[in-house]
Amino acid sequence: MAISVGQIVFYYLAAASVASATLAVTRRNPIHSMLWVLALFLHVAGIFLLAGAEFLAAVQIIVYAGAILVFYLFFLMLLDLPSEQAGRPFGAHWPLGAAAGVAFAALIWYANGLSFVPPAPERVSARSALSGNISAVGTVMFSQSALAFELVSLVLLAAMVGAIVVARRKTES
Amino acid sequence: MVPVGGCLALSAILFGIGLIGFLGRRNIILMLVSVEIMLNAVNVSLAAFSQQLQDLRGQVLALFVITIAAAEAAVGLGLVIALYRNRPGVSVEDLTQLR
Repeated sequence: MAISVGQIVFYYLAAASVASATLAVTRRNPIHSMLWVLALFLHVAGIFLLAGAEFLAAVQIIVYAGAILVFYLFFLMLLDLPSEQAGRPFGAHWPLGAAAGVAFAALIWYANGLSFVPPAPERVSARSALSGNISAVGTVMFSQSALAFELVSLVLLAAMVGAIVVARRKTES
Repeated sequence: MVPVGGCLALSAILFGIGLIGFLGRRNIILMLVSVEIMLNAVNVSLAAFSQQLQDLRGQVLALFVITIAAAEAAVGLGLVIALYRNRPGVSVEDLTQLR
């Protein structure tokens, strides 16, 4: 069985994602850890591209790698980095956490073995996920998921107000 | 064409790594970043199912997940600021008031 170029690229991206996620979780320096998370996000964006989700890949790079990660990096600047590097990266109960993570991954792997993957539909519609991705995603988002879209905008507004209220310095009144 | 089984395995492994990071790290900011890794793992499986079923709702759901992740980052880091103002470090082992 010949392996296509797409599969080779997928396996590269998957291996690089797992490696950068592992490094991100285990590095001692928080800045290094954050840069490995950046590498992880870029590789996951590549997987989205390979899965035919071009708009999702663009949003992944712009919002995740661009906005959220820079936000986290700003906050890391608040830390006392030298003392942070001197301490242990993991807490006292890290074996429990590691056991939970490995058990979860093994559980999903087991479920995957039970033919969890649904079969592909027989007839692929003309407006498939692979053609005209942005307009098709927009059509679905504003027709079928219009209510969810409005709710999500409300959640963003609430988060914005909540972040300001929580982080506000208390003034003497 | 992405092998959907491989995508699910990748998603499970990334979620497990994020879980290990969330439960194990001491730094609160890196715990929040581990949550982002877990959300990203879910997005991988959503995109894989979207391609497998030729249904765009999976991608729309992944976009909503990204939005919620942004909201979570904003509120979580606001809480970290409020914590950092009252005590010296942002390590979970400093937070022993309820013990």
